[in-house]
Amino acid sequence: MKIALNILQAVLIILGAPLVRGIVARCKAFLQRRQGASIWRPYSDLAKLFRKEDLVPPTASAVFRVVPFILFATTICAVAFIPLLQPAALLASRGDFFLFVYLLAMGRFFLSLGAFDGGSAFGGMGASREALISCLAEAPFLLSFVAIAILASHADIAGMVNWTLQQNFFNVSAVHILAFTSLGMVVIAETGRMPVDNPTTHLELTMIHEAMILEYSGTRLALIEWASAIKLHAMMALLVALFFPWGMASGESIGFIALSLPLYCAKIGLLIILLAVIESGMAKLRMYLVPDFLGVASAVSVLAVIFTFLAKR
Amino acid sequence: MQVALIEWAFGFLLATLGLFVPIVLIASLGGKTRRLAIALIVGSNVVGCIVAVLCFWRETTVHLDFSAFSPFPLALGVDRLSAFFLLLICSVAVPVAIFSIEYFDLHYVEKRRNWVWTFFSLFLASMILVVTASTGFAFLVGWELMTLLTAGLILMEGDSTERRHSVFLYLLMMHAGAAAVIGSFLLFLPFSHGLDFASLRSAGRVMPQGIRTMVFLLAFLGFGTKAGIIPLHIWLPRAHPIAPSPVSALMSGVMLKTAVYGIVRFVFDFLGGGPSWFGYVVLFAGAASGLLGVLYAIAEHDLKRLLAYHSVENIGIIYLGLGASLLFLAAHSLVWASLALIAALLHTFNHALFKSLLFLGAGAISNATHTVDLEELGGLQRRMPVTGITFLIACYSIVGLPLSNGFVSEWLVFRSFLGGSLLTNTNARIVLPLMVGVLAMIGGLAAACFVKVFGVAFLGRPHSAEAEHAVEVPALMRGGMIILAAACVFIGILPGILLRPLASLAQVLIPGAGVPQETLSITRVIPWFAAIIFVVTIAVTLVKRRERMERTWACGLPGLTSRMQYTSTVFSKPIRFVFSMVYRPDRTVERLPADQPYFPASITYRSVRTTSYEKAIYRPFVELFLSAARQLRRLQTGNIQVYLLYIFLALVLLLAFLRFQK
Repeated sequence: MKIALNILQAVLIILGAPLVRGIVARCKAFLQRRQGASIWRPYSDLAKLFRKEDLVPPTASAVFRVVPFILFATTICAVAFIPLLQPAALLASRGDFFLFVYLLAMGRFFLSLGAFDGGSAFGGMGASREALISCLAEAPFLLSFVAIAILASHADIAGMVNWTLQQNFFNVSAVHILAFTSLGMVVIAETGRMPVDNPTTHLELTMIHEAMILEYSGTRLALIEWASAIKLHAMMALLVALFFPWGMASGESIGFIALSLPLYCAKIGLLIILLAVIESGMAKLRMYLVPDFLGVASAVSVLAVIFTFLAKR
Repeated sequence: MQVALIEWAFGFLLATLGLFVPIVLIASLGGKTRRLAIALIVGSNVVGCIVAVLCFWRETTVHLDFSAFSPFPLALGVDRLSAFFLLLICSVAVPVAIFSIEYFDLHYVEKRRNWVWTFFSLFLASMILVVTASTGFAFLVGWELMTLLTAGLILMEGDSTERRHSVFLYLLMMHAGAAAVIGSFLLFLPFSHGLDFASLRSAGRVMPQGIRTMVFLLAFLGFGTKAGIIPLHIWLPRAHPIAPSPVSALMSGVMLKTAVYGIVRFVFDFLGGGPSWFGYVVLFAGAASGLLGVLYAIAEHDLKRLLAYHSVENIGIIYLGLGASLLFLAAHSLVWASLALIAALLHTFNHALFKSLLFLGAGAISNATHTVDLEELGGLQRRMPVTGITFLIACYSIVGLPLSNGFVSEWLVFRSFLGGSLLTNTNARIVLPLMVGVLAMIGGLAAACFVKVFGVAFLGRPHSAEAEHAVEVPALMRGGMIILAAACVFIGILPGILLRPLASLAQVLIPGAGVPQETLSITRVIPWFAAIIFVVTIAVTLVKRRERMERTWACGLPGLTSRMQYTSTVFSKPIRFVFSMVYRPDRTVERLPADQPYFPASITYRSVRTTSYEKAIYRPFVELFLSAARQLRRLQTGNIQVYLLYIFLALVLLLAFLRFQK
C-alpha cells in the first residue's frame, strides 16, 4: 500500500510535468493578454518529438548520444525524493537532501558535456553560462536545506516535511521565510526561468538552457524537454512539500489520500500563478546581474542558517 | 607464524624497491634486466597491497627494527594508520607502474630509461618509508629522500633555466617545510625518552599546553607546505606539471598524501586533538585552499597545471574534514569527530585514485598529441575512446557526483558539517553548518572546471592538426588507466568495503568513539541508487528511435570551423569575470598603429593573473634573506690573509670551547 502510494506520487510528478508547463504558459499568456496555446500542448509536442527521427552531428561521440538518457534517469531518480500526497516518498527517507541536490548536479554535468559535442559555438556558450549559474546556485541551494534540516533535526526530506507538518502554520519561524525566499530564487535559477533564463527564447545573446540543447532533436530532444519539465514540477512540488505541507495525508486511509490530491493541486496552482506573475512582471536579467541575484539568495540562506540558532533558544 | 610471514613480505617490499631493483638497473643497462626490474616493482607493490590489506582489515601490527645496522634508531612499523597509507601508495603504484612501462619507452632514449626506473623505484620506497616509519629519524630520512628523488625525476625530463628555477623553488619550500617538521619532532624531546613513536605518543598527552601549541603550529606549517595549503602552495603548480606524467600522478596522487599522513599522525595520534582553535586553523586553511585552488584551476588552460591546482583544492577538502574532526574532538563529540576523520581519510584515498588517473590521462593525451594545452586539443573522444571514458570517470569522480568515490567522501564531509549543528556552547555549531555552503561552492566550481576540461579536450571538433591525427595509446597504458577507473567506480558503488575498516581506524585514533551510523547508512543507499539509475538508463535507451547523421547548423554559413567553437579560456570567462577580485588580472590591449584607433592593423591582448597576496607574503622573507646575505658578503673580501685569519680564529675558538667544556 505504502509503496504503491509512493510510486503513484512519482508517476504523478512525471506525467503531470508537461501539464504544469502548459498551465504556466497559459497563465503567462493570460497575463500578457494573449490567446495562448492549450494547456495540453506540451503533451502533443512530446508525442510529436518522440515520433521524429534523431539528427546527430558528424562530430558527435558516444557522449552526445547517451547524455539525454542519463539526464532523464537522474531526473526520475530525483523525483523519487519528493513527497507529494503524504510525507514520504520512495527514497525520501533513505537518502538525504545532499543526494537529491547532487543528482540534479549530475544531470546538469552530463547535459553540459552533451552541449560541447555538437561542435558549434552555441553549445559551449550555453554550457559556460550554465556553469556560472550552477556553481553560484549550489551554495544557497544546500544552505536553505541545511537551515530546515537543523530545525527539524532530520537530514532526509521525509523527516523535514514530517516535522513541518506537525508545526502550526501561524507559528512558523523567520527561518522558514528566509529559507523559502532563498530556495525559491534557487529554483528559478535551477529550472532556467525568468529572470535568470528565458525558456522561450532562441536569441543567441540570451539563451542558456536552450543553447545547450540546440543540437538535439527527435527522441533525445523529447527526453530532455520532458526531463526539464519534470525538474520544474519536482522543484515546485518540493517547495510545496517543505514549506506548505499542511493537507498531506498523515494516515494511510483512502479518504485522507483522496483529499490530499485536490489540496496539492490547489497549492501547486497558486505557485504556478506566482511563477507566471514573476515571469510576466520581470525582464530577464543581464548575464552579469545573475551573480547578484544568486548573491542575494546566498546571503538570505546564510541568514536562515544563522537564525536557526536564535530560533532554538 | 602468520605475523612473521607478513613481516617477511613487508621486508621483501622494501628491499625490492629500495635495494634489488636499483642494483639490477644500475648494474646492467639492458632491456631484459629492465623488464625483470619492472616486474619486480609491480610484483612487490602487489605484495605491499596484500600486506596493507591484512594489517588494515585484521589489525595485525608489523614491526621491523634496523637500529642495529644504523647509527640512529631506525625502526619501521605498520599499525592501522600506516597500513591505510601503505595501501594507498601500493594500490596507486601498481597501475601507474603498468602505465609507465610503455610511457617511459616512448619518452626516453634507451640509456635514460634505467635511470628513470631506478628513481621511480626509490621514490616509491621513500614514500613507503615515510608512512611506515616508527621513529623520527626513519621518518625524516624518508621525507628528505622523497623530496630529492622527485627533484631528480623532474630534472631528468630536461634542464632548461625555467625548469631549474621551478625545481629550486620546490626544493626551497620543501626544506623550509622539513625544517618545521624537524622542529616539531625536537620539541617533544625534553618530555620524551626518544623519538620513537610510542614515546612521542605518551609524551604528547602530558606536555604543557604551550609546547603542544608549538608542535601543532610547526607540524601544520611543515606538512602544510608539502600538502600545498594556500599560501604555502606556490611550488605545487610549478613542480607538478613539469615532471613526467606518471611521476606527476605519483606526486599529486600519493606524495601529497604523506603530508596528510603526517598531520593525522601528529595532531590526532601524538597530540590527541587540542583546543578548538586548532580545528578552526585547519578548517579555514582548508576552506581557503579549496576555494582559491579551484578558482585558480578554472583559469588555467595547461591541463597539467590545472590538475595541480585541483590537488590544492582537494587537499583543501581533506583539511575541511580534518578541521571539523578537531572541532568535534575539542567539543568532546567523539562520534562526529570520527565521522569527519573517516570522511577526510576516505577523500585522501579517493583523491589518490582519481588524481593519478587524471595525470595518467594527461600523459596519454600528451603522448598522442604532444601537447597538454587544452586550446590545442578537442574531439579526442572519437579518436581515443578508452582514454576518453577513463578520463571522464576521473572527471566525474573528482567533481564528486553520485555513484563515484568522490561523492561518498564529500557526502560524509557534508554530513559531519551538518552534525556540527548538534554541538552546544560553541561557535562551531554555526560555523560548521555554514561550511556546507563553502564546500557546495567548491563542488560547483569543480564541476564547471571539469565540464570545461572534458568538453574542450575530448568533445566537439579538434582545435589542431595534432589533435585531429591523434591515435589511441598502447595497451598497457590503457590498462593502467582502466584499473584506476574501475577502482573509482567500485568504491563509488560499494563504499562499505573501505568505510568499515576506516571506522575501526578512527576508533584507534579517537579512543572511545563508536561507529558513526552515517557510514553504514550510505553503504545501504548507494547500491540502490546505482541499480535505479542503471535500470532507468537502460530502459530509456531501449526506446525505439531512428538516427541520421546531419551537419550542425551553422547559421547559414558554409560550415563550422574549429575556430568557432568555445575554447577553454572563453568558457571560463564568466567565472573569471565574476571572481575578478580573486584573479586581479593585469590586462593590456595594444592597437597598432596607434594613430588610427578605429582602423587598427593589429590588436594584441594580454591578460596575466597577478598573485598579489603571494608577493605580499613572500616578499618580506625574500628581502630579509637578501639583506642578511648582503651583510654576510662583507666577510668575503677575497684577500687570502683575511681567510687565514678566519681559520686561525676558528681554531682558537674551538680550543677555547673544548677547554671550557671540561
